[in-house]
Amino acid sequence: MWQNFKNGFIKENPVFGLYLGLCSSLAISTSLNNAIGMGMCVTIVLICSNILVSAIRKITPDEIRIPVYIVIIATLVSIVEMVVHAFMPELYNSLGVFLGLIVVNCIILGRAEAFASKNPIGASAIDGLGMGLGYTFALVLISVVRELIATGGISFYNPFDATQILFGFSIEALAPYTISLFSGSVGAFLTFSCFAALFAWIKQHSAKKEKEAKK
Amino acid sequence: MPSIIVAILLFVGLGAIFAIGFYLNQKTPKPEGCENLLADCEGCRLATCPHHPHHKEGEKENA
Amino acid sequence: MELLSMALAAILINNVVLTQFLGICPFLGVSKSAKSAVGMGLAVIFVIFGASLLTFALYKLVLVPFGIEYMQLISFILVIAAFVQFTEMFIKKYSASLYKSLGIYLPLITTNCVVLFVAQDNITQNYNLIETIVNSISVPAGFMLVLVLFSCLRERLDSADTTSSWKGNPVALVVAALMALAFSGLAGIV
Repeated sequence: MWQNFKNGFIKENPVFGLYLGLCSSLAISTSLNNAIGMGMCVTIVLICSNILVSAIRKITPDEIRIPVYIVIIATLVSIVEMVVHAFMPELYNSLGVFLGLIVVNCIILGRAEAFASKNPIGASAIDGLGMGLGYTFALVLISVVRELIATGGISFYNPFDATQILFGFSIEALAPYTISLFSGSVGAFLTFSCFAALFAWIKQHSAKKEKEAKK
Repeated sequence: MPSIIVAILLFVGLGAIFAIGFYLNQKTPKPEGCENLLADCEGCRLATCPHHPHHKEGEKENA
Repeated sequence: MELLSMALAAILINNVVLTQFLGICPFLGVSKSAKSAVGMGLAVIFVIFGASLLTFALYKLVLVPFGIEYMQLISFILVIAAFVQFTEMFIKKYSASLYKSLGIYLPLITTNCVVLFVAQDNITQNYNLIETIVNSISVPAGFMLVLVLFSCLRERLDSADTTSSWKGNPVALVVAALMALAFSGLAGIV
């Protein structure tokens, strides 16, 4: 089970390994704050949808499986969207349309279809947590690089109260060398491709090692 | 009519329309000559996705 | 004139793939050949146009009069999904050639975020009917333009000698970054 959980981070990282949910991970990763907020929302939706799909897996008619999943996911995302709107208005504004677009994030439907529809509730919940944290991890990685290069510092505020900054720093030495391009789309694509290549390299490297170990 | 009832009706109605549409669509046979036609999509590496080319390779190996 | 500049802005300047990052999955997935890019693009234009009109009508005629705007997200996704299913069914029944060129891409469209984005965008931007029509044709047209351009690049890219860890999607995303840079140069025209 720990292995399952760990797989979500490196080998089967939903973003860099499987290329799922690219749209939101590129668009939201402008700041650490957005990345963590979005990651948490997706994780919550993913855990809940996995639990619900797994709970009704025996009574769902096979022919209309996908419609049932989509209805469940859409309901959950609506609830999360309303909660965020009510309690974290700052986050709601900065995530904007992408909060609603969690509905069509392939990670959620993909996990419901590939894992939760075949496994018991407990394992599905853990799988949802692992995949959700893997997604958050990927978002945090991209956003840290982009925020650092674009603004020369990192800041993270309390999502419930935007005036309260939890931690933040800026590196003076970096200030003259910031590249504002990295807050835009070019930086997003470049940062993402570097990480994707890095993860592919790690994967190939560990596969090679395993082969040698077998010999 | 209170709005909450309209909301529930809308939810159930649209859900039913989608489910029926999905069911009917699956029942409708594909036109002749298109039975094995699938859009190859390599956007993600989900091997379980029916549109992924890896899926086809796997089937060939099994056959 | 305003409509024309709106359409140009949606196609070139605020391009849905390169600046809003929507529809990246089909952008990477179906862009292997120019032929499939055209098929996918046309299917997306048709679905977005139809679904946007349906969701627009649903919003103005049902959600607003009854004060249940909070149902927007859930009803929109269901309308889009149902619309795609019925479209696929009709194409299957009545036109084999249309199914061959466009129909096979329809199953990939339900979970395409561009469709839901355009439907929601028409509402949040407070567009009227004509603006909605223009917007829901020009946004997917921008998607198709980039998809076709990218597929032509991709055909060359596949035969290029890239390092094994960059092969496939990573190097394709670098090309996408360069395309985004090129498109940002068009920002001044409207």
